[in-house]
Amino acid sequence: MSNPVIENIRKSLGRSGDWLVSQRPAIYPAYPSRATQDEMAAFLGEVRKLSGAAQQITLKELAEALKRLVAENGIRKATVWNTPDLQPLGLDSILDELGVELVAPNADKHEMALCDLGITSADYLLPETGTLVLRSSGEKPRAVSLLPRIHLAIVRPAMLRADMHQVFAEAKDSHYLVFITGPSRTADIELTVTLGVHGPKNLFVWMMPDTDM
Amino acid sequence: MSGDSHAYIGFEEYTAHIPASIPSAVQQATSRFVGGRAARVAELPQFEELRQIGSDIRLHTIENLDYYLSRLETAVQAAGGRVHWAATAEDARQIVLTIAKEHNVKLAVKSKSMATEEIELNHALQAAGIEALETDLGEYIIQLAGTGPSHIIVPAVHLKKEEIAALFSEKLHINAPADPVELTRIAREILREKFLSAEMGISGANFLVAETGTLVMVTNEGNGRMCSTMPDLHVAVVGIDKVIPDWESLTVFLKLLARSATGQKLSTYTQFISGPRRSDDEFGPKEFHLVLLDNGRSEILKDPVGREVFKCIRCGACANVCPVYKNVGGFAYGWFISGPIGAIFAPQMLGTPAARELPYASTLCGACAEVCPVKIPIPTILRHLRRRVAQGDEFSPAAMPAAISAISGLASLALAQNWIYRFGTRLLPFMMSIFKRDGWIPTAPYPLSRWTKARPLPPFTAGFRQWWSDRSNSRKDTPR
Repeated sequence: MSNPVIENIRKSLGRSGDWLVSQRPAIYPAYPSRATQDEMAAFLGEVRKLSGAAQQITLKELAEALKRLVAENGIRKATVWNTPDLQPLGLDSILDELGVELVAPNADKHEMALCDLGITSADYLLPETGTLVLRSSGEKPRAVSLLPRIHLAIVRPAMLRADMHQVFAEAKDSHYLVFITGPSRTADIELTVTLGVHGPKNLFVWMMPDTDM
Repeated sequence: MSGDSHAYIGFEEYTAHIPASIPSAVQQATSRFVGGRAARVAELPQFEELRQIGSDIRLHTIENLDYYLSRLETAVQAAGGRVHWAATAEDARQIVLTIAKEHNVKLAVKSKSMATEEIELNHALQAAGIEALETDLGEYIIQLAGTGPSHIIVPAVHLKKEEIAALFSEKLHINAPADPVELTRIAREILREKFLSAEMGISGANFLVAETGTLVMVTNEGNGRMCSTMPDLHVAVVGIDKVIPDWESLTVFLKLLARSATGQKLSTYTQFISGPRRSDDEFGPKEFHLVLLDNGRSEILKDPVGREVFKCIRCGACANVCPVYKNVGGFAYGWFISGPIGAIFAPQMLGTPAARELPYASTLCGACAEVCPVKIPIPTILRHLRRRVAQGDEFSPAAMPAAISAISGLASLALAQNWIYRFGTRLLPFMMSIFKRDGWIPTAPYPLSRWTKARPLPPFTAGFRQWWSDRSNSRKDTPR
């Protein structure tokens, strides 16, 4: 079915029907994949450049690192994604032992907004820009990476993709995707860069070996 | 031309008394962005190639706009979203108002959107008793101040932190310190509460992907995520020029946009939204509405030169390098899109009677075209629009005015016939001596009087041939 706007466009362009008059120009090819170590180093380096804290970590070091994060940032409430890669890490019980109150990731938004810490995984990572790519679903609520003042992403080398072309090829049918490239920022007042205007003020990225489950 | 008539934009009158604070603040912002852009471009060897591809894809999309918009509509509907077509600004306002009333909306949170500025949506919502709150920090500040944006990326850059603190203290009834970090924290707290209680989120879009009906929205602060995640209702108002064919094309534009705009590789948050949420547990709106705004765009498509303005991806790089913009700031352009792109956008959207001065708000130096990530030939379009200002908005090349054709006819005759040229160069100094006073010509007869009204004319001394032969002779005498 047609409408007046489409009709007027056709008239202005002198087009009579619904077909392409030219082929879409070819795009620039995706960056080639590099060795995982190189992509990982590039990714972590970019996150740091964006004022995010990025480090490699093993399962054994996890409890200690969380303890430090909780102590240094005064974390009292946290919320965690329910994904198959995060569940085996025992994050809930570690946080519970540290005296952190756990809020369900699908809790009411006002409750979520009171959380100090949101922990997510990621679906893909982009080394060129230090970007986390997150899908959305019942077990991966969008608010966990948005409402708490601190966002921690526990990620794996297997999530690295050389370029956004590969991410789009795999994920374009997803009904929601977000690229997260560093913590929330603004320079709207006298061009002074200020972190955490609406989204998280701090971003932590912990890279864990694929085999640590 | 859009349905709403626009007040005359007095660029010249405005620029006669610009507050001194504006050029200095604007130049600080533009030089920051110019430096950032240059650094990002230098580290991406394929940047030039990406610009060409970006330009080609945008042109291709414009040539096939109805095709891609039809696909976009089908794909948005398949994803569970609703599509509304707005032929005019008034149509768009009514569509948004109707949706808001159906959902009993009291408060709408807004993410920076040029399309909603274009249709002056905030006024319409407020008139209907609905609070419309801008949430981008800069937009929030200028909404409190009741002014327009002075820069496309940093709209409140003309205000000093002391002025913003005074504004917050007055409007929010608090004691705000003149500290950017503290002012940002205050805004975060106030707006956080609004995000959580608003019934409707309103946004624009950076791109619409026809292939899957996906709205792409880029922000640094996260207010775009808030507006499209927290309320149960998300309404996006987007110009029909924002559509792109597919996700492969998107890779090109995402690589160009932030690098050209702020000198970032990517902005902090890029969202890809295809319809409403699928599960109650994931957050996100229950309903997603896309209002596709024409408002005169389909008419502009008739002009094959002018329509290249629709390649624009709203990065602001052209303004940052523009010697005119840097000295006058965004207000001078009298419309929400300023700088060189505003100077070719506004006259086409509002008609040349209202915006006739804007095509002349340029030195035609070409810096804008050199940095444009999608290679819009801005100086060419400026010249084209100057002709439309002179001859009316009809696109057929009208006949040159008789005086100009007569003069150019005489000139080509003189240049073609050697003896006429030589005779003329002897005659001119003689004729000019009649008007000469103290080595200058203070007043001359029409049409030269149009020049001498403003400044004296230097007298014509010798023809080019004479000058050349004198110069050659003196060169021979001078040892190198």
